[in-house]
Amino acid sequence: MLKRLLLTSSAALMLPFAAAAQNVVTMNTVQIFGTIDPAKISDYTDYMAAVNLYDGLVTVDSEGNLVPQLAESWVVADDASSVTFTLRADAHFSDGSPVEAKDVVYSFERLLRINQGPANLFDGVVESGNVLANDDGTVTFNLSRPFAPFMATVPALMIVNSDVVAEHAGDDDAQAWLGENVAGAGAYLLQSWDRGAQMTITRDAGYYGGFGDGPIDEVRWVITNDEATVRAMAASGELTMTSQYQSPETYKALVDMGRFRIESRPTSTAFYLKLNTQAEPTDDVHIRRAIAYATDYDTIRDVILPGEQMTTVLPQGFAAFWNPDVEAPRYDLAAAADEIAQSSWAGQPIPITLSYVAGTAFEEEISLLMQANLESLGFVVTQDPEPWNRITEIASSVEQTPNVNQIFYGPTYPSPDSMFFPQFDSAASGTWISMDWLQDPEVDAMIAAARATGDVDEQAVIYKDLQALLADRMVSIPLMAQTQQHAMDNCLTGFVAVPPMMSFEFDFSRYAWTC
Amino acid sequence: MEFAAFLLRRLAWSLLVLVGLSIVIFTIARVMPGDPARMALGPRASAEQVEALQTELGLNKPFVEQYLGYVSGLVRGDLGQSLLTRRSVSDDMRASFPATLELVLITILFAFAVGVPLGVIAANWKDRWPDNAVRGVAIFSAVMPSFFIALLLQVLAGYVLQILPTTGRLPRGTDFIASPTGMLLVDSLVQGRPDVFLEALRHLLLPALALSLATMGQVARITRASMIDVSRQDYIEAARAFGIPERLRLFKYQLRPAFVPPLTIAGLEFASLIGNAFVVELIFSFDGMAAYGVRAIQQKDLNAIMGVVMVSGVFFVLVNLVIDLAVGLVDPRVRIRGART
Amino acid sequence: MSDLDLSEQAALSNAWQNWYRFSRNPTAVIGAIIVVVAVLLAVFAPYIVPYPADAGAVVDFQHRHLPPSWEHWFGTDNTGRDNFSRAIYGLRVSLALAGVVLVIAVPVGTVLGILAGYFGGWTEIVIMRLTDIALAIPPLVVALAVAAVLEPTLLNSMLALASLWWTWHARLVYSVTRQVRAQEYIEAAETLGASKLHILFREILPNVISPVAVKTSLDAGFVILIGAALSYLGLGVRPPTPDLGTMVANGANFLPDFWWESMLPATVILVLALGFNLLGDGLRDLFDVEDVR
Repeated sequence: MLKRLLLTSSAALMLPFAAAAQNVVTMNTVQIFGTIDPAKISDYTDYMAAVNLYDGLVTVDSEGNLVPQLAESWVVADDASSVTFTLRADAHFSDGSPVEAKDVVYSFERLLRINQGPANLFDGVVESGNVLANDDGTVTFNLSRPFAPFMATVPALMIVNSDVVAEHAGDDDAQAWLGENVAGAGAYLLQSWDRGAQMTITRDAGYYGGFGDGPIDEVRWVITNDEATVRAMAASGELTMTSQYQSPETYKALVDMGRFRIESRPTSTAFYLKLNTQAEPTDDVHIRRAIAYATDYDTIRDVILPGEQMTTVLPQGFAAFWNPDVEAPRYDLAAAADEIAQSSWAGQPIPITLSYVAGTAFEEEISLLMQANLESLGFVVTQDPEPWNRITEIASSVEQTPNVNQIFYGPTYPSPDSMFFPQFDSAASGTWISMDWLQDPEVDAMIAAARATGDVDEQAVIYKDLQALLADRMVSIPLMAQTQQHAMDNCLTGFVAVPPMMSFEFDFSRYAWTC
Repeated sequence: MEFAAFLLRRLAWSLLVLVGLSIVIFTIARVMPGDPARMALGPRASAEQVEALQTELGLNKPFVEQYLGYVSGLVRGDLGQSLLTRRSVSDDMRASFPATLELVLITILFAFAVGVPLGVIAANWKDRWPDNAVRGVAIFSAVMPSFFIALLLQVLAGYVLQILPTTGRLPRGTDFIASPTGMLLVDSLVQGRPDVFLEALRHLLLPALALSLATMGQVARITRASMIDVSRQDYIEAARAFGIPERLRLFKYQLRPAFVPPLTIAGLEFASLIGNAFVVELIFSFDGMAAYGVRAIQQKDLNAIMGVVMVSGVFFVLVNLVIDLAVGLVDPRVRIRGART
Repeated sequence: MSDLDLSEQAALSNAWQNWYRFSRNPTAVIGAIIVVVAVLLAVFAPYIVPYPADAGAVVDFQHRHLPPSWEHWFGTDNTGRDNFSRAIYGLRVSLALAGVVLVIAVPVGTVLGILAGYFGGWTEIVIMRLTDIALAIPPLVVALAVAAVLEPTLLNSMLALASLWWTWHARLVYSVTRQVRAQEYIEAAETLGASKLHILFREILPNVISPVAVKTSLDAGFVILIGAALSYLGLGVRPPTPDLGTMVANGANFLPDFWWESMLPATVILVLALGFNLLGDGLRDLFDVEDVR
């Protein structure tokens, strides 16, 4: 029964800490939890905490299907102008009070008021005042305009306990309070949180949704991106599961320990080289194409970071919308030289800045690989490693955005729109997601057309054309679709990728301990 | 009376030093490229939101006014908000400083426990092989990069021998809340938890050892010099002539007065200790102020950086103040010579 | 004319004597050899190292993480570059850092120290209190803060260190000047109406030179260590420029399996700092200046 304690030779010297007969998962994350307020969550750790602490009306299964959570059923109006959800009668918050329609209204209105995190999903789709409680058990969302991907965005709306939150609203809509406390209906309760170091959550035995066999009683997230620390924790028996961002050496070392297996899943998270289309020299399409030809895709995928080939800017996970006719970018230095000869920079040294997240080993390796190839073509390369929050800042100004940026971006709701609009629509420029600074009316029009139609086939045609267009302009170079890889204790099961939803695969109520 | 005047003068200088320090730090912080408001709000904030926060943070006001605002905050113990943790920097400091203090105190203890005997040995066998050996150790300890010794200890004790924990302050999941002091060794005793005390000690050993090396060398070197100095004094010669037992002479009449210079050097050593703690805490994932400072620096978390530098400075000035007063109380000459910082 | 010849001869024989005493001090000689060899290696790095191209952005993933061998004395790193070549190039950064910091800090500190020591009064108060403030800040912490706040480039790190380092020299020179000032011959020169400039730079400065030389040599080692710590924490030069502290930090990610990637560059830093320290120690014995640290 004692699974995780005292596995090494240091055991003799360790003191016998009370080892509760519980299933504990200890996992490292490479970045801190920024916030646990469901109206402000934005990155992978935020969502990871939120999916365990809060429940939404619906959630997503491993096939990408919407499945009931707080809502047991829903009805879409014939003209697609409204959706009515019926709540589970037995659904209750962790303090025991029932989840009612007014909580849904409150959660939604609060999200729009704060206007951060997932709020942009509902931008211009559902206005304030258009979510109505019919009675305690049913709630209706009235859409401002037909928006095909609406249902897909609903899982991101996490429901808070309106009575409790209103009590702590203060003058900031309870942002301070919900930044430290939880008022949700999730399967887990927040036990402790030290922002720089760790977060621990414990299972709520009274969770309305129930658990399967061998439920995980406690999850401890330890924040460290230091490979040596991760290996030391694994060796001492402490670690159960790694983050998805370890180095190949670490995965190998853990497997060699015998206690771990590697779980990998393809994901829809794309890894791009984003080229600033508004700054010299990457404003020249020939230079952009040259960079694409100078990228050694095979080495990056096979040696530096495992991943699946990506042929267009849309991950193949969106099978119905993916364009199979677009030719994959290829590594061809001769073709790169041809493109340079056609550019306005022919015959001159070409200054270029390559940016990546400082301290990330694989990004530095990719950047060095790019430099080696680009220098052979006459580029004069400056490396610009920056901390992540500095990158989000320089992304807000076109002058400060470097020429080449290594960016991971995955869909935040299961619609191709979540890949195209935030990255390529000119209205969305000025964020780290849109470091290409594309200002192209043709592209904008196509994105808008796809949003307006409810007909999936029609959308597919538009999105396929759009992929061909973006490949020709070579705005973002698709490097790979990330393979999500964790080293996991052999006793831990239940990890299944939940394709288009950020961090939903870390909902630990779906996991089990089998030893 | 004389001591009171010395005390006052010494306090006044300390205050002046702190004011100077705050000006330096504030000036450095304000030339930072990048907009703290934009960084705090994140990528999707509108220009209006950024401007509103700039106004709220007082970033549009003249420099002097901003500085005065910062100082009045300092006096109230308000160091601003951390971008990284989204908490007040003072809270973060309160949480992380005791760990660093504990580490530094244990380090100093190590350094003296080993350094003073080494110095005594070297002085007693001056110019013979023990002296040369100690001198070698002292030079070596001064030039050993802190990260080198830390990594070496981590690999040797953590991976090869596997006898000591290499990360953190306690085994994770230990059911223990560090209060009232935040220093685990103290709190565990107060709460009557010998198990936690032992674990905390085991976790402290490697970082403290790595950190103490440089100071240990200094202490040995200065103890040696000071012992030799004292041994030339008349009363030691007299003691020898009177046939006072060797051990008594060495420890009572020679070591005690010779102890003052190493003590004063300890004050200055605190500065380099805090500096090296940045590297050592990072390597051992030891959650103290220095590890917090490193994260703040890597993430360009302005208020946190300023807070860490300011707290280090205040701590350093206070330690030296205390040591000076202690020495001044013992040795009247210091009072007249005046402040040494 | 003959007068001058005589004094020249005397100076010469004095220098010869000094050299003799110096050469009899084994640690000093070892220190000097380390320093000279390091400087030569750094200057002639492109002609010496086995893989000069590896100082730049070379990637050779087939040969990553190779252990030390005849082809690669220090093994290879995570992109397959020769660690020995990069370590030799890395000496350039370390030595340049020490050089620039001390070229700024030593003259500034010396001049301010002499002024404070000689004139006393407000000059002394202002200058010495400034040094007090600067000494209250742990140097690594301030260098970190400056490097973090400005762009983390080598130049900024140097300026940050130099902006603090002068204070140590100012204090040293100040106390020497105070001692010298009380000597009779200075008073005599003052009574004879010698200009202040003459007294400061012809009468006092020569007395200051040997302790400053000792301290400069010792400091070079410490600046190198602090520089290495800065780059270990990720505030060093930008890739792909080779830098010892950065190499250690990168290599530490692959401990303990690929120990050579961190431990060997760290040893190079250690030896370099040791060289300057031994040299300083030797000079201290030579000039017989006791309390310089």
